[in-house]
Amino acid sequence: MLLSAAAATAQEQAGRAQSPASQRPPETVKPQTYSSELIRAGEGRFMAECGFCHGRDTAGGETGPDLTRSMLVAEDFRGDKIAPLLRSGRVEKGMPSFSLTVEDTDAIAAFIHDQKTKMEAVGGGRRGVDPEDLDTGNAEDGRSYFNGPGTCSTCHSAAGDLAGIGTRLQGLQLLQRMLYPTGAKAKVTVTLPSGNTVSGSLASRDEFAITLTDASGERASWPIGDVKFTIDDPLAGHFEQLGKYTDHDMHNVYAYLQSLR
Amino acid sequence: MRIFRVCVKSTAVLWFCVCAAAQLKPPTDSWPTYHGDYSGQRHSPLTQITSENVNQIRQVWQFQTGQNQQIKATPILVNGVIYISTPDNLWALDVRTGSELWHYTWPKNNAFHIGHRGVAVYKDSVYLTTPDAHLIALNAKDGDVKWDVVVADSKKGYWSTNAPLIVRNHVMVGVSGDFDNLPGQLKSIDADTGKTQWIFYSTPPAGVSEPPSGGATGGQMWMTGTYDPELDLVYVGTGNPTPVLNGAVRPGDNPWTCSIVALKPDTGKLVWGFQTSPHDTHDWDAAEVPVLVDGNFNGTPRKMVMQASRNGYFFVLDRTNGKNLLTAPFATVNWAKGIDEQGRPIPDPNKEPARDGRLVAPSESGATNYRSPSFDANTGLFIVSAQDGYGIYFFKPEHGEYGWAGADYNVAGRAFLRAIDYQTGKIKWNHPLGDGALAAGVLTTASGLTFTGDVAGNAMVLRTSDGTTLWHASIGRMGNAPITYEMDGRQFVIFGGGSSLFAFALPEGLVK
Repeated sequence: MLLSAAAATAQEQAGRAQSPASQRPPETVKPQTYSSELIRAGEGRFMAECGFCHGRDTAGGETGPDLTRSMLVAEDFRGDKIAPLLRSGRVEKGMPSFSLTVEDTDAIAAFIHDQKTKMEAVGGGRRGVDPEDLDTGNAEDGRSYFNGPGTCSTCHSAAGDLAGIGTRLQGLQLLQRMLYPTGAKAKVTVTLPSGNTVSGSLASRDEFAITLTDASGERASWPIGDVKFTIDDPLAGHFEQLGKYTDHDMHNVYAYLQSLR
Repeated sequence: MRIFRVCVKSTAVLWFCVCAAAQLKPPTDSWPTYHGDYSGQRHSPLTQITSENVNQIRQVWQFQTGQNQQIKATPILVNGVIYISTPDNLWALDVRTGSELWHYTWPKNNAFHIGHRGVAVYKDSVYLTTPDAHLIALNAKDGDVKWDVVVADSKKGYWSTNAPLIVRNHVMVGVSGDFDNLPGQLKSIDADTGKTQWIFYSTPPAGVSEPPSGGATGGQMWMTGTYDPELDLVYVGTGNPTPVLNGAVRPGDNPWTCSIVALKPDTGKLVWGFQTSPHDTHDWDAAEVPVLVDGNFNGTPRKMVMQASRNGYFFVLDRTNGKNLLTAPFATVNWAKGIDEQGRPIPDPNKEPARDGRLVAPSESGATNYRSPSFDANTGLFIVSAQDGYGIYFFKPEHGEYGWAGADYNVAGRAFLRAIDYQTGKIKWNHPLGDGALAAGVLTTASGLTFTGDVAGNAMVLRTSDGTTLWHASIGRMGNAPITYEMDGRQFVIFGGGSSLFAFALPEGLVK
């Protein structure tokens, strides 16, 4: 049963059209060329440090996205965006920081740009997800779910915060943002022993300390046991919803959001 | 090949024989193998640090590797020397001070540098795997290379992070290789000569029909196994099949991928196998530690093997024959339609990766991963780093039939430490550890303590019976589980936080 279902899925998928050229990755803003020596050096460094997550060919690996479709890469010029990102990492997204030399980051940037050029020439996208791949939902059903059982409308509105969302975000980016808008800040109000309260956005919280950033940008931190606090975390509802969506619901809500242009 | 020697301690002359008997119940002044002993329980008989005095433990020393990489290895302690590794690097440290005795570096190479789990020790040799899948034997006293052999061809896409398992003179070394369609192999290498003794293939190499994997490759054994000397069986978890997300081109269950296999250490012959994820399409290795426990199961004494698997299910098997005793989820799962008569989850075809994406729990990083669990016999609790998480999985024919062959993205996750009652699979307690990633491995001690860490980088000690926090210290993210040992009458615990090792103990004045 498992086999026939899998085979049927494969046949169905095989019948679908290839991605149209209009959905190609973002174009490199400032065209740039590199010596083959630097590209080769970059290939080695990229494989060792980046290849596991982003794929040896930069087109996506275990967890990490396809860099040939990255906006940051498209906007990078000779490593001016890539190198700082390598040094800082994106810890919240699981990317560690790297203490690489300037020679290494220059070479890695050269390799990524060279791969991007090669992939653009080939077209398609071996591990990519194209916006039209996601077009299997029903926007009307998505609207009903959004306003009904999904309870999305308790926090969001089509005419308010989500107006034009389908223009601002497309494809995988829209789907990921819809499922879990990483980076959305929780609001926290801390009540001090004096009874005074301090409010701000939640900077960090573990079992032992709570840290907020107030309106002036200042950080303040307290041991958990010394204060009382309430947290309004918009991500909590999104996480809970992940356990409730069927795949149909997910695709329908995506279709609805895509229609908000 | 560069070798750094700061100073070589000449006093360590009485080399401890790391033999089978010693690894069943190793001396408490050692941690001679990845799991501490052959059972994989990562449980210590030491009791000096207790729930009453743990709040007084203090840092005794710190060793900073100076590397960017987080320490994901277990420190190995033999003869007063600690061996700790990161990719391309091995340090020998004085156990009393944490100071470097020697440092060995492997030449720069282009294989994946994603982590290193640790070394193995036998007689006077230390065995180190390299990212480009070599195994080198070094003199434990000074780091001189005795021999260097190729375990697998890194140009084909193999790499290694593996801490070898040694039984008698068999150094069993596993490799990784998810980005290419490569047969899964575990190689046994002669500890003295470096010669290959046997290779166990979890999926068949070209031109071979056994095991009948349905066209799948993969099933790499990248984690350290366990060993039962009485049955003379080695237990190893195997990884996911390749191509990873494209299941249509490899019909059937794809044995022996995502399996626990029992092998004869002298020959590599398979005695039995059990698949935790038949026909996996989500990268859910069953490489996690197969923990060996002797105890009662529903009133009957059993020799068991237990695994909390990356796919979100906890398994208890009879380790004499591989028959299933219990299968129960320990984290959020939505990918199985039920459990079959053999105790295996039945994959739901609707949760296989698809062109428009499938929302699946757990995420690809797993309900747990390589970070070691611990078994506490006093409470009957199997304690594991767990995650409730979701990912979206895509596959379309354009993704092809090679390597990853698909795309997937983690969406969100919540980390916990979970204590599982092994006889029922029920969660006895659940301790939240933060968001976004799995936390740390686990060590338990006979004094009823659980040592672990959270997502924010705190080392923590919990009470094993109920999961209450008793102590913490911010040391940076832990990449693996702590170890413990006794030295000069004092119990030490070593945590790896960030790129440092930290040794903690009670102040000398408090130790009787």
